[in-house]
Amino acid sequence: MSDDRSWDAIVVGAGAGGAAVAYGLCKRGRSVLLIDAGPRFDPSIDYPLTEADWDAREFPQKAGSTGKVTFAPGQKLGSEPLLASGSRGLGPLANGGTRLMDSYRHVRGIGGSTLHFTGESHRLHPAAMRMRTRFGVAADWPFDYGVLEPYYAEAEELIGVAGPATQGARWRSSGFPLPPHPLSYASQTLGKGAKALGLDWQANSRAALSLPWNGRAPCNYCGGCNKGCPRGDKGSADVTFIAAALDTGRCTVRPECPAIRIEAGPDDHVAAVLVGRPDGSIERIASKQVVLACGAVETPRLLLASDGLANESGQVGQNFMDTLFVTVGALHPEPQHGRRGLPSDAISWDFNAPDAIPGVIGGCRLYNAAGESELGGLAAFALRAAPGWGRAHAQSVRKLWGHALHVGAIGERLPNRDSRVDLDPVARDAFAMPLARIASILADSDIARLRFMARKSYELLAASGAERIYENYSSWDWFVATHVFGTCRMGDDPASSVVDAFGRSHRWRNLWIADASVFPSSGGGEAPSLTIQALALRTAERMAGN
Amino acid sequence: MKRRHVLALLGFFSFGGAAVAWRLLASFRRPDAREHIARSIAAIADVMFPGDGLASAAALGLHHLVLAMPDLQAQIANGVVWLDKRAVSQGGSNFLALDEAGKLAALDSAFASHDDGIQSFVLTLRYHLGTAYYSAPAIKSAFAYTGPPQPDGFADFQKRPA
Repeated sequence: MSDDRSWDAIVVGAGAGGAAVAYGLCKRGRSVLLIDAGPRFDPSIDYPLTEADWDAREFPQKAGSTGKVTFAPGQKLGSEPLLASGSRGLGPLANGGTRLMDSYRHVRGIGGSTLHFTGESHRLHPAAMRMRTRFGVAADWPFDYGVLEPYYAEAEELIGVAGPATQGARWRSSGFPLPPHPLSYASQTLGKGAKALGLDWQANSRAALSLPWNGRAPCNYCGGCNKGCPRGDKGSADVTFIAAALDTGRCTVRPECPAIRIEAGPDDHVAAVLVGRPDGSIERIASKQVVLACGAVETPRLLLASDGLANESGQVGQNFMDTLFVTVGALHPEPQHGRRGLPSDAISWDFNAPDAIPGVIGGCRLYNAAGESELGGLAAFALRAAPGWGRAHAQSVRKLWGHALHVGAIGERLPNRDSRVDLDPVARDAFAMPLARIASILADSDIARLRFMARKSYELLAASGAERIYENYSSWDWFVATHVFGTCRMGDDPASSVVDAFGRSHRWRNLWIADASVFPSSGGGEAPSLTIQALALRTAERMAGN
Repeated sequence: MKRRHVLALLGFFSFGGAAVAWRLLASFRRPDAREHIARSIAAIADVMFPGDGLASAAALGLHHLVLAMPDLQAQIANGVVWLDKRAVSQGGSNFLALDEAGKLAALDSAFASHDDGIQSFVLTLRYHLGTAYYSAPAIKSAFAYTGPPQPDGFADFQKRPA
């Protein structure tokens, strides 16, 4: 079957990038069909935070809301006592000597992974966009921070980002739209430790409203961002860019429409998107412009499954970069109840510049990870923090509940030849489309960066008065990626990149990419959604000008 | 760490001798054997999560949740046999005949054991019983800040906890 209606553009993927490019086109008078493989979520019905068993439930799974991927074999591990994942209560996570290739954590649906994201809203460090020129690693972005700055500001305005007056090297043409959120009690405790270490512990910039904004109520500090925000104060794409696109009257949103192939046409133009329907049939949707915004795993999968479309450089699927993280939990003598307040409400950018970590290229940041780590509630705490069983265990739980502090660190992940996304030679989905296969191998420099991140997390906890580490999780032995990048790199040279500086395929003149797959480097631990959105707004402006 | 990751972790300790366990399970299909297993799991639940002033796991009926999990049946049958043998070495006729200290000692031995699947048995029970126990409204209500975080949020988030 085919749809006879026509749109100026079809956008594949309704997450951070797809939503922003759809909005950018619609506000310029273009009509957009925005499709996603996943469903719609109704925050008032689907999200669990008002339920008695809220702590036992994660972000909801609905039919089609998680894509399947496969993994290449995990990396063989040596010994890294600081980095081995596990807890006192549950023991080691990966004890087979091999990195556990666990999951690519994402959401398919209208709003994409912003539906379950924490909502950190970060601009990249300007120096992190010049990794090749300055340090001989990764690739340069084909423009500098100044080019992206107006689009950052536009995205922040639409979202209602709350942040501090300054963020060091990230210069701003105007202040954040909203004042920063007050720090939680646990973040204040960590702030004392940061001060003792000479670190700048400041309010994080957050896509969560500190004041009413565009008809949305402000945050009430429930700490549950990752389970889905029922109030709509978190700036997920469904309540920001997609809502604004729909307000123009020029955006049509279709959930449950997995794109299974991009059809090439004559004259270096793509002709249509083939979409799977719930009844198993395939729909052909023609469009003047096609934007792929499926993320750094699914976008290369779609291109490779379309007979290697836009892969003239051989770079589609290469340069895969995943989240480099450490999370450390410890017990403080005084109760904290750190789940109260915004997750990741405080941050240290001290080691974020690419040359800030001694002896290692690529930066990182530290943050209060309490909210994210304690979403499992009392049961998760009892089993992780207190080993054993019996009356002694019960007494420990009673004594220690609420005393946890968590510090997290996220760092730069450099691309290498062994980390990529390709097509699984065997596994296929319901439409016989090969699944994406993820290979992720950490280089020695990545592991050295992880060591530094862990050491600093331990130091910050100790300086804050936390006395006993009870859990430590890291991407050294646990692949559980949320932020993924680089598999359709942008650049000026068609021989070494997939798209140009505006996200357009070097060859296919009406094919664009608007997600983190275009990132030439990952940044020093910044959350990527705001940069994805700024890039997408720039892409939309370029498309509308054509 | 998410629940599915914990289950993945427990999977690392899975049985090698599934066929042997299945034969064991067959012998435990007899009514008297089923009753013995049920009473043993209830006893394990009470020793692991005794309440210590609150309701115990068995008093809350949580052992029935574990007994109803089809995937655990072979593991449970094998584990109860192991604990009964261990009880004999401790001077009891079986696990149920031990006092609380004896039962704890038997569980500690199981956790330290290198016998096939035995450590996994106690960790699996700890995980499922512990999750159910500390998720039970009767237990959660005895702890601060365990209720649903919405619709009220935390107005006191900047202050020392009450």
